[in-house]
Amino acid sequence: MPNNPVDADLERRLETWAASQSDAELHPEIQRKVRDLLTSSLTPVKPLPSQSRLVLAFLAVFAACAAGLIAILDKAGFHLMTGAQIIWMTAILTAGGILFSFTLGWRMVPGSRQRLPLSFVLALSGFGTIGGIALLFPWRTSGAFFSEGLPCAVMELMIAVPATVAFWLLARRGALFASAGLGATLAGLSVLLALTPLQFQCMFQQAPHLLVWHGGTAAILIGSGALMGALRSHRRIS
Amino acid sequence: MTLYQRADPAALEELVRRISPPLLRYFAWSSQGWSQAGRNDAEDLLQDCWIRIHRARHTYRSSEPVMPWIYAIARHTRVEAYRKRRRPQAREVLVASVPEGRYQTLPEAPHQQDEFDRLIASLPEAQREVLVMLKVSGMSLEEVAKATSSTVGAVKQKAHRAYATLRRALGGAVGKDRKNAE
Repeated sequence: MPNNPVDADLERRLETWAASQSDAELHPEIQRKVRDLLTSSLTPVKPLPSQSRLVLAFLAVFAACAAGLIAILDKAGFHLMTGAQIIWMTAILTAGGILFSFTLGWRMVPGSRQRLPLSFVLALSGFGTIGGIALLFPWRTSGAFFSEGLPCAVMELMIAVPATVAFWLLARRGALFASAGLGATLAGLSVLLALTPLQFQCMFQQAPHLLVWHGGTAAILIGSGALMGALRSHRRIS
Repeated sequence: MTLYQRADPAALEELVRRISPPLLRYFAWSSQGWSQAGRNDAEDLLQDCWIRIHRARHTYRSSEPVMPWIYAIARHTRVEAYRKRRRPQAREVLVASVPEGRYQTLPEAPHQQDEFDRLIASLPEAQREVLVMLKVSGMSLEEVAKATSSTVGAVKQKAHRAYATLRRALGGAVGKDRKNAE
């Protein structure tokens, strides 16, 4: 019970206000119009699978593609990395893949509880990768920084772009409302998928190379994904 | 909702009958308040929202509460409409009076509520939205958090700020009344 006269007055007015809103009913004509519009295209639909099944599907695609690409591509990087580097990079890429899969699952269903905000997932994956590379890999560069880096960036692009399309095909049945967040989530998951085989394939295991050519390309791709999501949303509006 | 997913026309009719009035109030209060223009806009948004609900009906899971799902779609409808309207508005010249609409015959809000209606309408959009969902639609904090892709803490904060603004405004009004009485 509010002990302040202003609080009591506010509560009373809010109650009256809320009650007065219930009196304002919808015009029957509008109701009929909506009903007729929807009835004409009323067909049975199959509900989306559960959240856990969606996440498992994303993870299965992520794991299968990553494992397949690691098997196909050269594993020079794997032989050059130390035990700590292998463990940290595998852990951060796997954790990132899991987090992005959950985020994509939440974004597919309107009104889903977003247990972790996308900004947090992006920051955690970004800082985890950057921190790990900065601390665990040597800070030296060879003379051919650009000519060595460019093929890695191209390779990342060649894996990430089709992966984004594949994840979009999986997610599009649910994710009906395109947004910058959805674009960034799709791109984030695809970029992590591309970075996993690339990390084990790349023979330049130095911090500047990994940060600029692997990390920089990843940041550009995620930014592009967000931009495309936002543009798609705006185009539909106009 | 499950029956609606199975294409039961009676379930659709019941859903439209029960969900439309609170949605209309949400749209009206989220845009221009429960005014003539607000009602007309809300009506258009309501129809657009139902089309979106219909297209997205397969994304509803029977294990989840229906209101956050509905309001998340409604919120998306409102945001898109706002963006769409914002662009041409920059080039438009405001008309002196609002054209008459279908709701002209409906009674306006009672006189004593007018002041409070204006106060609610003057709240920042995010605070007003939370207040409408909590008070008018009767949703829980958890449901509002889900509908707005937010956290319970953030919803509580917005509601608290809305209350603080209203309290300040009412405090001023009470003070004025007392002065006048003296």
